[in-house]
Amino acid sequence: MSDKQVAGKRLSRRTLLAAVLILIVIPATMMLGIFVLNDRKYYFISLLIVLYTMIPFAMVFEKRKPQARELIVIAVLTAIAVAGRGAFFMLPQFKPVVAIVIIAGVSLGAEAGFLVGAVTGFVSNFFFGQGPWTPWQMFCFGFIGFVAGILFEKGLLKKTKLSLCVFGGLATLLIYGGIINIGSLMMFTSQFSWQALLATYISGFWFDMVHAIATVVFLYFISQPMIEKLDRIKMKYGLIEK
Amino acid sequence: MKDSFATFHPIVNFIYFVVILLFSMIFMHPVFQVLALISAITYSIMLKGNSAIKFNLLYMSPLLLIMALMNPAFNHEGRTILFYLNNGNPITLESILFGVAAACMFVTIIIWFSCYNIVMTSDKFIYLFGKVLPALSLILSMVLRFVPRYVAQIKVISNAQKCVGRDISQGNILQRARNGITILSIMTTWALENAIETADSMKSRGYGLPNRTSFSIFRFDSRDRVVLMIMMGLTIMVVIGGAMGENTIRFFPSIRMVAMTPLSVVVYFAYFVLCMIPVIINVVEGMKWKSIQSKM
Repeated sequence: MSDKQVAGKRLSRRTLLAAVLILIVIPATMMLGIFVLNDRKYYFISLLIVLYTMIPFAMVFEKRKPQARELIVIAVLTAIAVAGRGAFFMLPQFKPVVAIVIIAGVSLGAEAGFLVGAVTGFVSNFFFGQGPWTPWQMFCFGFIGFVAGILFEKGLLKKTKLSLCVFGGLATLLIYGGIINIGSLMMFTSQFSWQALLATYISGFWFDMVHAIATVVFLYFISQPMIEKLDRIKMKYGLIEK
Repeated sequence: MKDSFATFHPIVNFIYFVVILLFSMIFMHPVFQVLALISAITYSIMLKGNSAIKFNLLYMSPLLLIMALMNPAFNHEGRTILFYLNNGNPITLESILFGVAAACMFVTIIIWFSCYNIVMTSDKFIYLFGKVLPALSLILSMVLRFVPRYVAQIKVISNAQKCVGRDISQGNILQRARNGITILSIMTTWALENAIETADSMKSRGYGLPNRTSFSIFRFDSRDRVVLMIMMGLTIMVVIGGAMGENTIRFFPSIRMVAMTPLSVVVYFAYFVLCMIPVIINVVEGMKWKSIQSKM
């Protein structure tokens, strides 16, 4: 009973915060961009919006005072993803990060998926170099993990190889590629036009394609053993089951 | 050379970089851009020596050129038409200059970030955000610890597997790949089991209980206060200058900016000193060191 109330409260607080951000803060930022900065600072404004979208996750996570076990499992998956990104440093775009983030989202839930993705984006750049691209990568990885978790909860995504590979390939190509190219366009030109966006998508297509193929390959090989191990740990120690 | 600015309190370092990065992203006025670019290059050379010079010349200057050329290809606004492309689109002076300005801004930000990476180490970041985001900062520091630990553990596992002839250096290519996957699988199981043990150990030592203090190696002393005050003062001057339109520039349809007055020189100077704070600190520190050195 009380558990349910807490959960309800938590949900409403997140919804409230998200609503405030979406309805008030984000439009206010856009107005600031249009009227104060003369509408030429797309990168700056889009960066702020990307950061805003990550705030509710961080706040909710901090508010509910997560247990040590939960923290550490997230940290382990993140470390594996970071180490994986490091291990394949010589192959551009061929990285296992999205695959591990999707596995985290599927087996630990949407929130954990988001956190593993966002923290991986952030921490791996301590090794690869922080830059204006960091928030975009954090957001893209986190968002894919979140979507994977939600789809799994709704039953649209199964723990089977086929289902995960199809989702992984599409998510990398459309979500990651779709968002990160907007980010790099904003970074490079600070001047938005549809032709330039199209050109960015076309020039980035093969990079995104390699990335998507990498995700499919990694999901094909590691998804089943990883999920099995995570399920085993969850069952053995009674983790994160509500 | 040791960087003295990095020895200041993390909050001073962090505020400096946030302010500088924000200003570099917002101001497109040529004077401000040149000042920021000069300061960024100077500081990066101070921090990294020759490798910074190489980085700036080898990567940053071609990047600047490409980006400056990219903009006029897509952007045809502006009044002064220089010539027409084959497909009939005009190339304008304004769009070329805007491309140069945008490229300059981007390169400046990248160079600032290369300085940020050296000064704001992960321990400083965790110290700063440990109070606001305790759980996430803990995850962050655990991940940073786990990565080298896993690399070491993989070696241990791989050596053990070598004894039974199942290392990645043994067998034909297919076997090697299979052995590699087995090693990673062992690694993952170990990591997860080990994680639970760590978590239980944390819990039994009182993680998450109230009234616990955290260790910190940083102290906020008078020199931090002085530098912070100076930074605040200069920032306020630059922001006031910005509100008065001293640092805005309009590119389209024609280039226009405020005429230079004595006041704008003051704002330029404030911005330059703000950008140069780490360099100034390093130079002053170097002189101090020279003067107290024994001259026997």
